[in-house]
Amino acid sequence: MEDLAVQILKSLVSGLLMGLVFALVALGLTVVFGVMDIVNFAHGEFLMIGMYATLLTSPWLGVDPVLTLPLCGLVGAVLGLLCYYGLIRFLLRGPMIAQLFGTFGLMLFLRNLALLTMGSEPRIIHAGWLVGKSFLVGPGVVLESTKLAAAVLSVASFLAVWWLINRTRVGKALTATSLDAEGARYMGISTERMNALAWAVGGASVAVAGGLLVNFWPVEPGVGLLFTMIAFATVALGGFGSVRGAFVAGVLIGLIVNVPPVWDAMLRAIDAVGLKNLEIHSFKYTMVYAIYFLIMVIRPQGLFGWKQ
Amino acid sequence: MEAIRNAFDFSDLPRSELIIAALALLFLLLFPVLPHSSFAMATMIQFLMFSLYGMGWNLIGGYGGQVDLGKAQYVGIGAYTTAVLMIRLDMPFWFSLPVGLALAVLWSFIIGYPLFRLKGHYFAIATIATSLVLKDLFEVWNFVGGARGLEIPLKGHLPNWLYLQFKQDYYYFYVLLAMFLVGLIYVNGFRHSRLGFQLRAIKDNENVARSLGIDAHWCKIKAYATATAFVAAVGSFHACYNFNIEPEDVMSLDLSVLIALMAMLGGAGSMWGPIIGAAILVPMKSYLGDWLGGKAGMAGLDLLLYGAIIMFIAAAQPRGLYGIVEALRVRRQR
Repeated sequence: MEDLAVQILKSLVSGLLMGLVFALVALGLTVVFGVMDIVNFAHGEFLMIGMYATLLTSPWLGVDPVLTLPLCGLVGAVLGLLCYYGLIRFLLRGPMIAQLFGTFGLMLFLRNLALLTMGSEPRIIHAGWLVGKSFLVGPGVVLESTKLAAAVLSVASFLAVWWLINRTRVGKALTATSLDAEGARYMGISTERMNALAWAVGGASVAVAGGLLVNFWPVEPGVGLLFTMIAFATVALGGFGSVRGAFVAGVLIGLIVNVPPVWDAMLRAIDAVGLKNLEIHSFKYTMVYAIYFLIMVIRPQGLFGWKQ
Repeated sequence: MEAIRNAFDFSDLPRSELIIAALALLFLLLFPVLPHSSFAMATMIQFLMFSLYGMGWNLIGGYGGQVDLGKAQYVGIGAYTTAVLMIRLDMPFWFSLPVGLALAVLWSFIIGYPLFRLKGHYFAIATIATSLVLKDLFEVWNFVGGARGLEIPLKGHLPNWLYLQFKQDYYYFYVLLAMFLVGLIYVNGFRHSRLGFQLRAIKDNENVARSLGIDAHWCKIKAYATATAFVAAVGSFHACYNFNIEPEDVMSLDLSVLIALMAMLGGAGSMWGPIIGAAILVPMKSYLGDWLGGKAGMAGLDLLLYGAIIMFIAAAQPRGLYGIVEALRVRRQR
């Protein structure tokens, strides 16, 4: 019984930490969607590029991986701007379906560019201030410092973006563009620049998430797809365009993904004969999609959504 | 009766299109007789499969304007039904094909009912989610072989028409070509049908369509189920053609997106669009892969180019390649 309690506590803690990172991954997607109604299939690839950016620059500059995060954000922002001016600007003229496939092409392009230049073997950061340290909080509950730092910095980035959108002049212009682009143009707001800004903010936040993630999650060129899907589910669950929604939904999904070990433990505790070889653990991402689907059907605009 | 007459009525199409279509059909009929490599034959079969997938997708995605990115789950249902019935119950292909169709259509009604409460991006992403859930379930379901999938054993001596097992590819080619023609004629009928007009009305303006008394929700579900039938039939064929199916092969997200992509790049909502899209993208993908895929140190270069071309078409011609044809025609009429 005690074993079960520890299991639950453990999953809750790791679910919360993981959820904060998922939320940061989804943040960029929701900002971009909110401003210009476009779903970015290449979002996970931005994350992958952020991961590689930390992985490569930290030994090259000879500094700790954590200190490369601003650089990571810069890389992401530049990447976002490049994508906006090189591709998205033209896609916005077309119907929704052309936008989906334009970004799908971008995804293929970036993923295979990484494959071509980096090779396919998974890599991870082996040394640094954070790697290999952990705290023991409570009986049996271990807090890895990599995940803790990722969660804390994720909250910090969230606050920064929230501050940018809700407390600055530029943020007001951004909100105005997402509410009514034409009206914003009449008020003298350059919506073109606001769109570019949204891509820069989106790219920067997801690249920072990648820089945090690479401390405990190996990077390879195909890593993006899982995160793109999780980010889609997170954004749709929270409501497209809602920053607060992305935060709540990210934490929720982190918990969903990490709670199945509890059910595994429960199965073992009650020693169910027929269910023994059914590992619910292997369904964790399936569960995300299934729960997302159910919530969507009950509440189509998402938990905090205001766009239909 | 009138539906059948409509299906064979191609007279409303411009004559230039009909001539090109007739020439293309002649080429397809004669293709196995012309000198060709086995690689070209395999590419040709892929082309026919994808144009059928695209034709199906076009019914809901093109005419109905509902971006469906979860068609691979029905490919999987069709393929797995055929494989399971063949392996466990020794059923011939011609029996398992309708069973697979029926199962897929049934599943599409169950999924479609809640799905069509959603619109736009929400709908698109929800279709991805349903497809991924099914794929994940198939990957752990031992009855269908889990992640390793199923292998269909050889039945008796070849060629075996009952189980659709042949040594030479041109048998498969002609079976598929027959399915292709049936599909084409069906789509032609669909264009003139009541459902076809209702769907286009919904695509243009759903609120107005509703106010005219069209049951938009039910129309979309019907079109979705019809599209599913196309896709599941090709899925059944795929199982026989490949002898080997696995979830990653027949139910992956890539397949779902590819199906929609070909129809969209060719021109969604037009009869020839999916065929044009498949005719360009399938050979391009397989020849790029053949040319660059095997070279050492070049892994990924073929898909990189492929992605760049997709980006370019989506940005430069968002209405698809058929949009160019239509623009040219409008200009000439002026």
